[in-house]
Amino acid sequence: MAAISRRRLLETLSAGVTSVAFAPLLAARAAAAAQQGAAEHLPPFTGPDANPYWSSVGPVVTYPQKYPLILLTDRPVQLETPRHYFLSPFTPNGAFYVRWHLQGIPSTVDLAEWRLEVSGNVERPLKFSLPELLAKFPSTSIAAVNQCSGNSRSYLQPRVPGGQWGNGAMGNALWTGMRLRDVLRAAGVRPGSVQVQFQGMDEGPGPEGLGSHSFLKSLDLTNPVIEECLLAYEMNGEPLPLLNGFPLRVVVPGYFGTYWVKALTSIRVLDKPDENFWMKSAYRIPDTARGSTTPEAVKAGNVKTIPIGRMPVRSFIITPEPDEKIPAGLPLTLRGIAFSGSGRVTKVEVSADNGHTWAAAHLGEDYGPYSFRTWEFPWTADHRGMHTLAVRATDEKGNLQPDEPVWNPGGYLWNRIERQKITVGAAQ
Amino acid sequence: MSHRSPYALAATFLCLSAATLLSAQSERGDYMPRNLGALSQPAPRRAQTDDAKYSIGSYPYFWPEFPEGEGRDMVTGYCNACHSPRYILMQPPLSRDQWAAEVTKMVKTYGMDIPQDTQAVILDYLDAHFTPETRKH
Repeated sequence: MAAISRRRLLETLSAGVTSVAFAPLLAARAAAAAQQGAAEHLPPFTGPDANPYWSSVGPVVTYPQKYPLILLTDRPVQLETPRHYFLSPFTPNGAFYVRWHLQGIPSTVDLAEWRLEVSGNVERPLKFSLPELLAKFPSTSIAAVNQCSGNSRSYLQPRVPGGQWGNGAMGNALWTGMRLRDVLRAAGVRPGSVQVQFQGMDEGPGPEGLGSHSFLKSLDLTNPVIEECLLAYEMNGEPLPLLNGFPLRVVVPGYFGTYWVKALTSIRVLDKPDENFWMKSAYRIPDTARGSTTPEAVKAGNVKTIPIGRMPVRSFIITPEPDEKIPAGLPLTLRGIAFSGSGRVTKVEVSADNGHTWAAAHLGEDYGPYSFRTWEFPWTADHRGMHTLAVRATDEKGNLQPDEPVWNPGGYLWNRIERQKITVGAAQ
Repeated sequence: MSHRSPYALAATFLCLSAATLLSAQSERGDYMPRNLGALSQPAPRRAQTDDAKYSIGSYPYFWPEFPEGEGRDMVTGYCNACHSPRYILMQPPLSRDQWAAEVTKMVKTYGMDIPQDTQAVILDYLDAHFTPETRKH
């Protein structure tokens, strides 16, 4: 009480007197707030600098069978998963990101018509209805991350055209389905076969034979991943949402999502390598370390490319988010996820000093080599100010996330160490 | 008590003043008229039939706003043939060369039939509104 000066007391009194002028004050505040309100929403685009946000900047939208997600495009549909869903090791079906290539995507699937056809260089071409598939082949389940090849494209410098994803074009699910190898065995792959090609129900208005007409993806038959592929009819114990590939989609554990063909209708065994656009021109990465190159090398035309394949090791800080303010001295738990296309994440390390020193985080439950693995790191900020947290993961093959950026013209393979700035405030 | 002492009145007044001053530090009841960022809830889907058709009805689609200028209708019209014109708005600002490569890709790689002079109009529009120097929207 003694600390209250007479002058402050008078100011307080006069503030009461001026309250008769409250109405115009409120109007002025409203005008200021209207401007402020506009500034509180994300800008409609980012660039030419890197996207400064964790997610892409599109509006939040609602789609059938989906929770509110971030819109990239509405036709064909591309939706990004918001950050907070990655606190759990399995991404809910309703929150799972969506990426289609051609506008003719299924909104109705008539199972009376739908068939899976196995054709091409096989002894016995086959056709299955969904009940026939379920009856003929045993089912198995695998936890696996599906990540878009272009996930995090908006962080590349210089920026490249394409879907401007933030970090949310990924998700982890428990996929249940029949093994691809069992289906191939039933049809009998003939000698001289080299690849297996997948096609789904999606189609575009372009001329036949071009990428704008059909989306086709192939895997080498000698690729060991063939043994691990599933044809999934369930994700997280439920039928797939239509936007995620109902009634059946290919699951290629450890591989980027481009091979996980949705609403699958055709499996073709090829005796020549697939030369369609989606294999020969799109989804290719420089044949270099980390698939990185430079705009100059691309311009000079001397970048040899190969089809994209396994996902590099990545880890993310999910909480705290940057808009949180943490009181100094308050113990808290940093949380996130990690995964790798090359096998189990064996170590996650956290740095609270912008990557100068690292300490091991506690790993969450192990759901298998291709799953998200959650991590936790108890941390107490000992002083106020801006702190830069960082996280890096190591997988069982010894791959450690690097701190150098990636650049290639497709905007693929981003896996640089993630950082998160947070504000620590005075505690008293 | 019908009469309060002047000391008690002064003490009450000081306490109230202290509360006012305190509230300037820890604020309460601070509401401002502002855009809520509201997203209306979708209604439950209509009752499902028990046949073999699995349907989610039609996908929502919207027509994004494009800056006015020569060539706008050409851009939105031709692009719209295969995909939402929002594909353009989603991109970061791109150089004229990058936009030229995109137009060429749509014609040569994806088979979109755009007359040569229209391609030039489309490129000029993209250059006028969607490069690092020109992009505002």
